[in-house]
Amino acid sequence: MTAQDQTSFKARAGAALADTTLKLAIDRTTGTAERKRAAALAGFPEFEAARARGAAIKDHVIANLDHYLETFERNATAAGAKVHWAATAEEACDIVVRLCREADAKHVTRSKSMLGEEIHLPDALATAGIERVETDLAEHIIQLAGEHPSHIIWPAMHRTREQVAVLFNADHKPPPDAEDPASMVQSARRVLREKFLSADVGISGANFLVADTGATCTVTNEGNAELTTTPPRVHIVTAGIEKLVPTTAHAFALLRLLVRSATGGELTQYTTFHCGPKRPGDADGPEEMHIVLVDNGRSRMIKDEFREMLRCIRCGACMNHCVVYRQIGGHAYGGTYPGPMGAVLTPVLDGLKQSRDLPFACTMNGRCAEVCPVRIPLPTLLRAWRVRSWEEGLEKAPMRAGLGLWATLARRPGLYRLASAIAVRTLRVLGRSGWIRSLPLAGGWTEHRDLPAPAGGTFMERYKAERAKGDSR
Amino acid sequence: MTTRDSILAAVHAGLGGLRAEPDAIAAEAAGLLADLDAIRPRLAAPDPVDAFEIKAAALGTTIERVRHLDDVPAAVGRYLAAQGLPPAAAVQQTAALTALSWEGIAQDMATAPDQPAAVGLARLGIAESGSIVIHSATDSPILLAFLPLHHIVVLHASSVVAHLEDYARLLDGGSQPRNAILITGPSGTTDIEGSYVRGAHGPGFVHVIIVNDRSRA
Repeated sequence: MTAQDQTSFKARAGAALADTTLKLAIDRTTGTAERKRAAALAGFPEFEAARARGAAIKDHVIANLDHYLETFERNATAAGAKVHWAATAEEACDIVVRLCREADAKHVTRSKSMLGEEIHLPDALATAGIERVETDLAEHIIQLAGEHPSHIIWPAMHRTREQVAVLFNADHKPPPDAEDPASMVQSARRVLREKFLSADVGISGANFLVADTGATCTVTNEGNAELTTTPPRVHIVTAGIEKLVPTTAHAFALLRLLVRSATGGELTQYTTFHCGPKRPGDADGPEEMHIVLVDNGRSRMIKDEFREMLRCIRCGACMNHCVVYRQIGGHAYGGTYPGPMGAVLTPVLDGLKQSRDLPFACTMNGRCAEVCPVRIPLPTLLRAWRVRSWEEGLEKAPMRAGLGLWATLARRPGLYRLASAIAVRTLRVLGRSGWIRSLPLAGGWTEHRDLPAPAGGTFMERYKAERAKGDSR
Repeated sequence: MTTRDSILAAVHAGLGGLRAEPDAIAAEAAGLLADLDAIRPRLAAPDPVDAFEIKAAALGTTIERVRHLDDVPAAVGRYLAAQGLPPAAAVQQTAALTALSWEGIAQDMATAPDQPAAVGLARLGIAESGSIVIHSATDSPILLAFLPLHHIVVLHASSVVAHLEDYARLLDGGSQPRNAILITGPSGTTDIEGSYVRGAHGPGFVHVIIVNDRSRA
């Protein structure tokens, strides 16, 4: 489990459900995202064909990942960038901290990167005594609040406008002119401008790594990535090894899917390819560019069913459309990545033992797989974790005993019929009014809603009765 | 074994120890971009410049068309006046723009952190998305497109390409600059309750002056 939360999933989910402000904040953003995505797809009838192709591009890259990693390294190096490799989150942070120290960095600016969150780079920089300035507006908000992102596209979506105003009034000198979003955005622009221009190192992530040019690609709406990566003397990129694409054109094919699925736009305001450091005579740009390629569990995923998860392009559509995410928000999941994709990835990153509850926090309604722009079968992968949880003996005793009892009965039809006949009659006694208000071992269900009492008899009893009626006709 | 080699070995092992020939991989990758019209949107209008204008305008970019490059300074003057700005701008120090007569408009030589307006030259326009493209170069500072509140962009009609892939093709053959940036509308954010606000960090206003340098039949 990540450092941010040692409480149980159930406790976190319970607290989230009781927080009405949180529910309001989640509804505002996910509702808008869902509507805008639907509108964007309505204007792109080629979407189904495009997503099949997008999935095929990602599958092709993963099936040839060693080739593409070597090609990218060669071309990025030829462009003047220095490529570093990190097997784990700790190694990645060590490399970034070392590079910051070598640059004698007092303060660094960072453009939003979920991989940076995954490897806990903010904590590593803090421990190393390096001042970090988050430049994405949402990351700026949660940095002031001392929080972690609750969504991979809108990290501060759990905060209402009023809550953001409190944070900005306390931090910004001078404070925002007013508490409407426009005034607060204006205030952040003013405060961060000076930080951009005085930073020693700029750190970004990458949405794509282009093998044949050696460029890294970032997409932003605010322009903070370019202001983060241009003025400082050193630019550091941290990126997962699955981010490769063969060429720039392949990146564009995926971008069309990514942006429509994430924000409902057609293209982000800024799509930037960074290829090496400043060239001789260039008017601006960093003197050094470093790219840290991070494995952190990804190479393990190649060999089993979780390879399909390496297609993920981090659009967030699965969480925007998830009934569970929309009830509990992102923090309840406890890992870096929330929602359906997070419930698949967190057990890879943090271990199944620590995150066993996540694959079960799913109704299997399949919405996530329907909206996924690269057709990841998320429910199938969640079910795979459930199977592993059972095989590894991580299920709690009552669940194991219950399933064991059911298995014993299911293999003995006579006994099964007898047991179900007794159970149905017991439930009828408990639910004389037609509804059962409380039931031993089912408190989790009956606390929030009544259970309808069975109509009468087991299925087999009624089947026989109906058939007898039919025969006598 | 270095970390690099152990990661590559783990990837290779995960793939079953098989590895295709580079030519076969390249052929498969190229095949994934066959029949592009099946996987990309159609242009908003038959003419690429019209399509560009429709898309850019929908994003909040404002547009003026002029007949000659010589008409650009006057168009810039009109825009600044309409926005209530003083007649001054940082002008990209590139031959096409510096050769123009900027009489009546004070040229700021450097782009200030709070620069009100800057004028730059676009490499290309992309009709599919209404994007303009800028490249870093000796005469093209990236910050010119990010520090100002008003980014005024000069775009030759002849340099509007239809689709994103048409631009990608131009980057082939080692011509990739340090920074290649597609700018699609003004800077914006929806990070506070999903409300759209312009001018988050980059320009809050993008104004494109299209120079009609195409000879029409």
